[in-house]
Amino acid sequence: MLEGFLLTVFACTLAIIGAVIIGALMASLRTSGNRIVRGVAFAYSDVFRNTPFIVQLFFFFYGLPEIGIYIGAFETGVIALSIIGGAFVSDVIRSGILAVDQGVIEAAKVSGLSRWTIFTKIVLPIALRTSVRPMGSVLINMVLTSSILSTITINELTGTAKIVASTTFKPFEVYLVLLVLYASLTYALSLLINTVHRRLNRAMDTGGAA
Amino acid sequence: MRYADFTPYDLVLLAQGLGVTVGLFTLTTLVGLLIAALFTLVDYYRVPVLRQVIVTISEALKNSPVLVQLFLVFFGLPAFFHINMTPFVAASLTISLNTAAFAFVIFRSGIDAVEADQVAAAKVYGHSRWQILRFVLLPQAAAFSIGPLVGLLVNQLQVTSLISVIGVFDLTKIGNILNLRTLEPFIVWTVVGLLYYALAKLLASVGARIEKRLRRSVVWEGI
Amino acid sequence: MIVIENVEKRFGETTVLKRINLTIEPGEVVTILGSSGSGKSTLIRCINGLEALSGGSITVDGNDVSTKAGLAAARRRSATVFQLFNLYPHMTALENITLAPINVLKKPRAEAEARARELLKLVGLADLASAYPQRLSGGQRQRVGICRALAMDPNYLLLDEVTSALDPEMTGEVLDILAELARGGTTMLFVTHEVEFARRISSRIVFLEQGELIIDMPTERFFAEDGGFAVPRIRQFLTKMKKD
Ligand SMILES: Nc1ncnc2c1ncn2[C@@H]1O[C@H](COP(=O)(O)OP(=O)(O)OP(=O)(O)O)[C@@H](O)[C@H]1O
Ligand SMILES: [Mg+2]
Repeated sequence: MLEGFLLTVFACTLAIIGAVIIGALMASLRTSGNRIVRGVAFAYSDVFRNTPFIVQLFFFFYGLPEIGIYIGAFETGVIALSIIGGAFVSDVIRSGILAVDQGVIEAAKVSGLSRWTIFTKIVLPIALRTSVRPMGSVLINMVLTSSILSTITINELTGTAKIVASTTFKPFEVYLVLLVLYASLTYALSLLINTVHRRLNRAMDTGGAA
Repeated sequence: MRYADFTPYDLVLLAQGLGVTVGLFTLTTLVGLLIAALFTLVDYYRVPVLRQVIVTISEALKNSPVLVQLFLVFFGLPAFFHINMTPFVAASLTISLNTAAFAFVIFRSGIDAVEADQVAAAKVYGHSRWQILRFVLLPQAAAFSIGPLVGLLVNQLQVTSLISVIGVFDLTKIGNILNLRTLEPFIVWTVVGLLYYALAKLLASVGARIEKRLRRSVVWEGI
Repeated sequence: MIVIENVEKRFGETTVLKRINLTIEPGEVVTILGSSGSGKSTLIRCINGLEALSGGSITVDGNDVSTKAGLAAARRRSATVFQLFNLYPHMTALENITLAPINVLKKPRAEAEARARELLKLVGLADLASAYPQRLSGGQRQRVGICRALAMDPNYLLLDEVTSALDPEMTGEVLDILAELARGGTTMLFVTHEVEFARRISSRIVFLEQGELIIDMPTERFFAEDGGFAVPRIRQFLTKMKKD
């Protein structure tokens, strides 16, 4: 099961990186001045948050080859996971952006900084810092969701456990251990998130971030 | 006409799948909320041991994949305890408990959110712990909880799609069948996705309406 | 020179500024007085372009703030200090001060930092360069805010009630610095409720009343019995201020 465990960690790491990048990008678009851009970014988050991941996964897994895109199950899984993660992350970062003190932005404006500099050097960094905790629960959810990748023949942790369960005829023990493994994984991730939160916010008053 | 083409009967299949999804979701929501309420009572009255057990179970359920919980109940329990388990029972049991674990946390923080000094004030007037819960905490906690609860249920609706993996003929399972037969993944999964989307939006709008009413009544009582 | 001509500002139905005319010459320290809601902050925010004008025009050294290029140029010539400091919470004092010089004035980092340290020393914060705003007291934050403004080498300093969020002791710290700047010839447009201080440092006083600029006088005339004091509204305002 170690290999499955490592594959889960690997897939989640890739997907989390993808989700944060997509999320930050989409959140930026959602606070943009252009109505159409805002609408598209909103629709993205809305659609992927309100449909089941397994449906999205099947959509990509069975659909992509139909339009001539042949990528492996693993790649498909990581992409799908990044996309749904990005939808949730974008919501979190967007709230972070909207919560940035207007006075701070005004100070930046009057000093002549460009919109781009204000966004990348002030708004986004502050939003990311206040978003760490809520983002943490999104990322933990992604780890749990990654178990669904087993349904498209990826032998990550859950996929491997399924095989072990059927060869040992001890499904109860195997799945119980699996449950504990996931719980430990998410626990480790939450510790990591707490550390990141403390590091980033050590110096900064995050305001009313609950 | 190819055998694989869509037929009008597929609509019936989809409707059936939708029915199973909605039915199971409703059932597990009711049972789950009931269990969560019991959990909350145990926690509120600080029942020793039982309280720790409940917190542990709820943490375990919140921090492990629903798919694994389903496997544990559907494959694990029958093998270990030599009992019979149908996909539907396993699905209902798992999703109910899962909903309960999350709702329990929401209820508890709803109660915590109601000011401690209100409780102190109520105590001064000699109300029992039950009276305080019933007349002081509950109405306000409900108003606090409804928003997060609706968010949770929208999420749990998506989670029900996983029961297809253990063989319940819900909307996703029907999608699987149609997908394999027609080899039209884009159409099938778009339609299935849209149905889930519509259900989620319906749920959210009903939730918003209830929230509005609850908040109004709380404010009104407050004056 | 800042030239404000016939400026009007409306928020929806309500007119907040009515036909304001005001000129600020280099070297002047002009104080804006007026009761709460009279439009002082709004006037400052029109000058630094945080509010769009509903009518009239404002130019800063000839740059019209209602055009995009004009506003950019105007913002390079003026700097604002805020009531609530508005420091960048995720940056150290030094980074707060150097951000705009590096990104707007395109100063080399080393040069910007050297200047920032010089300014911090000037306001008595030399050893707090690497402190984050959260760790600083209100007075210290505002002194950083002043450094941040000065680092842009502005021709004009706009200050909106920069001490009203501070307790008396911290107010003293900040006012001392402003007095120093005034003596050094920095041009300032200054909104305050500290009447005594305004009297000490400003060369001219203007008085806003419900969006209208009703008085514009040299400081001495303003406080003279037969000058500003002769105007009932001003006398009432000044006596009330003394009592508070
Ligand atoms: N964004 C806005 N929308 C609507 N009305 C506004 C806005 N900003 C200011 N006002 C109104 O404009 C008027 C002038 O406000 P302003 O803040 O300029 O007053 P002020 O003289 O600075 O008062 P204070 O001494 O309290 O700071 C007030 O009546 C205020 O309510
Ligand atoms: Mg003001």
